Amino acid sequence: MFDAQVVLSPKNSPRGQLLAQYVAVRITRMDDVDIALFDYDRNNTLYYFAMNADEQIYLRYGGRDSASPDTYLHLDSIEAALRRGLELHKKYQAGEIPKAKRPDPLSPRQFPLLVERTYARNNCVECHLIGDFQNMHRELDGTLDKPRHLYRSPDIKTIGIHLDVPRGLVVKEAQGAVEAAGMKSGDLITAVDGTAVWTFADLQHRYDQVPRDAQRVKLTVERGGAPAELSVALPPLWWVSDVRWRQSSIEPRVYFDGTPVDAARKQHLKLDPDGFATEVKSVDMFAEVMKSHQLKRGDIITAVNGVSKDPVARTADLYIRLRVKAGDTVALSVLRDGKPIAMGLKTFRMSFRK
Amino acid sequence: MKTNAFLAHVVLLLAAPAWAQEEGTRWLDNYKAALREARETGKPIFLEYRCEP
Repeated sequence: MFDAQVVLSPKNSPRGQLLAQYVAVRITRMDDVDIALFDYDRNNTLYYFAMNADEQIYLRYGGRDSASPDTYLHLDSIEAALRRGLELHKKYQAGEIPKAKRPDPLSPRQFPLLVERTYARNNCVECHLIGDFQNMHRELDGTLDKPRHLYRSPDIKTIGIHLDVPRGLVVKEAQGAVEAAGMKSGDLITAVDGTAVWTFADLQHRYDQVPRDAQRVKLTVERGGAPAELSVALPPLWWVSDVRWRQSSIEPRVYFDGTPVDAARKQHLKLDPDGFATEVKSVDMFAEVMKSHQLKRGDIITAVNGVSKDPVARTADLYIRLRVKAGDTVALSVLRDGKPIAMGLKTFRMSFRK
Repeated sequence: MKTNAFLAHVVLLLAAPAWAQEEGTRWLDNYKAALREARETGKPIFLEYRCEP
């Protein structure tokens, strides 16, 4: 309902009066969008930009987490973003904001498979399809970097940032890595690695640009009217988030979910303490339908294709998702009721990608 | 309830362009027209991308 509330803002409401100072435009088809200029996580079904006629973007609004598309949306914070956009526009008109270099244009029509399977069939070019087919071409070109391209929009809660959502980038609670770096509740986050951020969407988009092997990220906060620089130590796998909501975006399909086996159990079972031994917590019914594998709940996967540890993957399912090409079959080493068995697991692509 | 909320959402959005022009905020549905109008008026642009349910 959030977009309906924004689109239907009464003219005389504070939000309507702010919107009246803009040219408001609502685009529901992505056919001819410049996806380089309007780069955002395509699994967002709702996203906003405040910009100008020179196609200079002032700020973004939107973004989400794995729990809900609405986690970071609030009418108070969008009003604040609208106000900020007007301030930035005045500064731009006064020559106080330098013109940013525009990226080379990129059209969804430049992806042949997307053209073949949507445009040519007169189907809607849905936002997520652009991201999915872009990644499919990356995979075909050998340029797909899964940690970067499939695990977009790392969750800021992983490093301990909990925002006071109606107030935009005001920190409600700081925990973990950011607390250790000195962040406090009430801080206002103003920049990521030196780039100004005005909204959660700005923060999420800039944070997503941080290289996945980075050890630290620099956050600037405003506290009591003064800026403070925080150097945040990024924990291992800081970029990994729950991607199950992305449905069609993360390949290959493995049809099971697992959790890491804890250290004590690894020791008891004489497993590599640094390995990704994984207990199967649930098996998707499609495993049987697709004849993918015969795993059962409670099985412990100890190795995939003879590999039992990985610098990034802490579970076997993540290892397969990161290291195996969709469609390939892998050999699993499994402990079932304490006895070692071997089995195959055939991975799958989503049908629309075939 | 979920179905009702979804239908209400769809009805609201289908009604939006006409209703919004008369009573609420005016929204264009064409990006190039928005750029043109922003050039003519000096206003900034507020752009919503919405994948329709």
